[in-house]
Amino acid sequence: MNKKIFRSSFLTAFLVLITTIILILGILFQFFEQQIQTELESEANYLLQAVEKVGIDFFKGFDSHNNRVTFVRSDGKVIFDSEADTNNLDNHAEREEIKEAMENGKGMSIRYSTTLTEKTVNYAVRLSDNSVLRISRNQYTVVTILIGMLQPVLIVILIALVLTLILSSRVSKSIIEPINKIDLTNPENNDTYKELSPLLKKISEQKKTIEEQLTDAHKKQVEFNLITENMSEGFLVIDRDANLLTYNSAALRLLDITPPADGNVLVFCRTKEFRDVISKGLFGVKAESAMIRGERIYSLIANPVFENEKVIGAVVIILDITEREKRETLRREFTANVSHELKTPLTSISGFAELMKEGDVSEETVVDFSESIYNEAQRLITLVNDIIEISKLDGRKVNFKKETVNLYELAQEIISRLKDQAAKKNISLNLVGENTEVIGVRKILDDMLFNLCDNAIKYNKENGTVDIIINDTETGVSVIVRDSGIGIPAEHQDRVFERFYRVDKSHSKKVGGTGLGLAIVKHGAIYHNAKISLESTEGKGTTVTIHFDKSKEKK
Amino acid sequence: MRNKFDKQLSQLNTELITMGALCEEAIINAVKYLTDSDEDSKNACIASDRQIDKKERDIETLCIKLILQQQPVAKDLRTVSAALKMISDMERIGDQASDIVEIAPYVAESEIESRTHIKDMADATIKMVSESIESFVKKDKDIAYTVIEHDNLVDELFDRVKDEMIKSIAGGCNDAEALIDLVMIAKYFERIGDHAENIAEWVIYSVTGKHRKPSHIKEEDL
Repeated sequence: MNKKIFRSSFLTAFLVLITTIILILGILFQFFEQQIQTELESEANYLLQAVEKVGIDFFKGFDSHNNRVTFVRSDGKVIFDSEADTNNLDNHAEREEIKEAMENGKGMSIRYSTTLTEKTVNYAVRLSDNSVLRISRNQYTVVTILIGMLQPVLIVILIALVLTLILSSRVSKSIIEPINKIDLTNPENNDTYKELSPLLKKISEQKKTIEEQLTDAHKKQVEFNLITENMSEGFLVIDRDANLLTYNSAALRLLDITPPADGNVLVFCRTKEFRDVISKGLFGVKAESAMIRGERIYSLIANPVFENEKVIGAVVIILDITEREKRETLRREFTANVSHELKTPLTSISGFAELMKEGDVSEETVVDFSESIYNEAQRLITLVNDIIEISKLDGRKVNFKKETVNLYELAQEIISRLKDQAAKKNISLNLVGENTEVIGVRKILDDMLFNLCDNAIKYNKENGTVDIIINDTETGVSVIVRDSGIGIPAEHQDRVFERFYRVDKSHSKKVGGTGLGLAIVKHGAIYHNAKISLESTEGKGTTVTIHFDKSKEKK
Repeated sequence: MRNKFDKQLSQLNTELITMGALCEEAIINAVKYLTDSDEDSKNACIASDRQIDKKERDIETLCIKLILQQQPVAKDLRTVSAALKMISDMERIGDQASDIVEIAPYVAESEIESRTHIKDMADATIKMVSESIESFVKKDKDIAYTVIEHDNLVDELFDRVKDEMIKSIAGGCNDAEALIDLVMIAKYFERIGDHAENIAEWVIYSVTGKHRKPSHIKEEDL
């Protein structure tokens, strides 16, 4: 803009200058011509009078200055010429100015030289004797004057040019300056050309619109981030070339990516499952797959993103399904165990009953069989009772009455119940401690302690010991059941509290039990907000501690 | 034009990552089959090898197309030329993994002591392959350098396995066929280690534009 203004103002000034010079020259020239003619006329008149008075002799010793004076007789013969020999001159009667003067008393003509650089102005007057006096003056033509004046004119033009340059540049700058100074951040607060105000107003309006849209977009982005950031599921958006576009921190955590994350998503995870899901997703098909990474199991879901029926990317969701898978495995094991535990006594019962049905059994054997059937049925009942009990505790639906229970007395009672069983293996039961009370459900506490002691005897060696220690400390009450039995191998210690979990996979009937004992202990402890810890060395014995926290108990 | 070029380069990168991942899977499955005789692993390894062969041809075509159509220079040219070299190494890794799978059944029965060292070699090799692919994927020359260092461990283990074999033969081991197969397997692992090292070297080349320091190469040549 600056350039354009400068160029046009410069051109205008230059054109005006040239035109002015040409016009002035033309007018001046006209004026000079007029001047010369007047001068010639007055001089001719003066000479005329002199010649009339003095006659031809007047020309003797006559100085004509710059003018050429010619005296022509009425027949055209030149009798005097101030610059040429009269003998060499031809008859002048036919010359334009002389002819005119002879006819009208005066005449004028202008003759140009062959080169056009000079012109001669002739003025002739008729004397009373019909002879003619002519005065001529040479004058430069416009061209000559122009050529002669070229240098000063050029200098003038040059100076004018420089001046125009400087001025134009100043002018254009001063026009542009206010425009440059416009504060576009606040378009409406500018005091500038009023022609610009509609533009500024428009800019201001659009600025507002853009700001509003930006705030909107930002708000949406924040909302989106809030949602995705608070997802526990990993969330990835990839483009057609599998480059990462958006992700949430859960995705980074699950895929173990250290931010900043960009570029190809396969850089961060390239397992077969991940690759397959991504390529299917980008192919336009929804894909699902489970991926094992380290110790965790993830579920991957890829959904293609379409635009105009073309896949432009995919959204990948990553779910941590480790816990779910674990529970699923537990459930499967539980079902298998339950059916096994239920089937074993039923098979025996069915077998004995079948033999008895055949009828080929002696009285004695029938009694024997009946006892076995009775025992197995009892076992089934115990098992089903245990299952009912545990599901009650599990569901937490039951509202048992809580009361103050003396653990020491409870332990004594249990010992008396288990005395016979212990005596069979010659195991000594020792109770250490004093009267200690906790608030809880007697039935559940009884089950817990009974199961622990029962296990301590069942999994003990011949002549072993079982110590029941009841401790009342400031932090809470702990019941410790310690045996000198076979112990639990380290790899099973985490799992013995699971339902039907048996260290001895053969589910041997040798030791009996339903496999639910420790599960009942665990759920009872959870019901009472108590903590269980288990220490065991294979071959040396097991110690189970139940700690009732006093602070929690009061609630 | 550049846009298309970038797209092709990114495609090349994706293909190479996929091929690398396939190599990892091939070797992991081969080792799994060797140790657990799990039929699924065997099939997976062979399937990976087939895919690797196909990928090699695809990537080769893509590289040649890139060179012909785009005339890459500087880093881009290094990327393409390193890719061309790398895929040969990756293809060899795939082949050797499936070779291990082929002879693995013959050694599965034998109770030769060196199997433990073979297992060590297998683990070290898997680690090398994984890390070399990782260094390529992340364009990380530091990981590449650790891969190169790691190769010494694999070489040492190979020497140990070899010594044990010799001792076994001298001690009158009567399972000669299994011994020879074990030596073969050990050699395959050692070769796979070398290929992983090569991949790491090409990563260093494509990142820095320099080949690995000549002193190291001299050592190897001597």
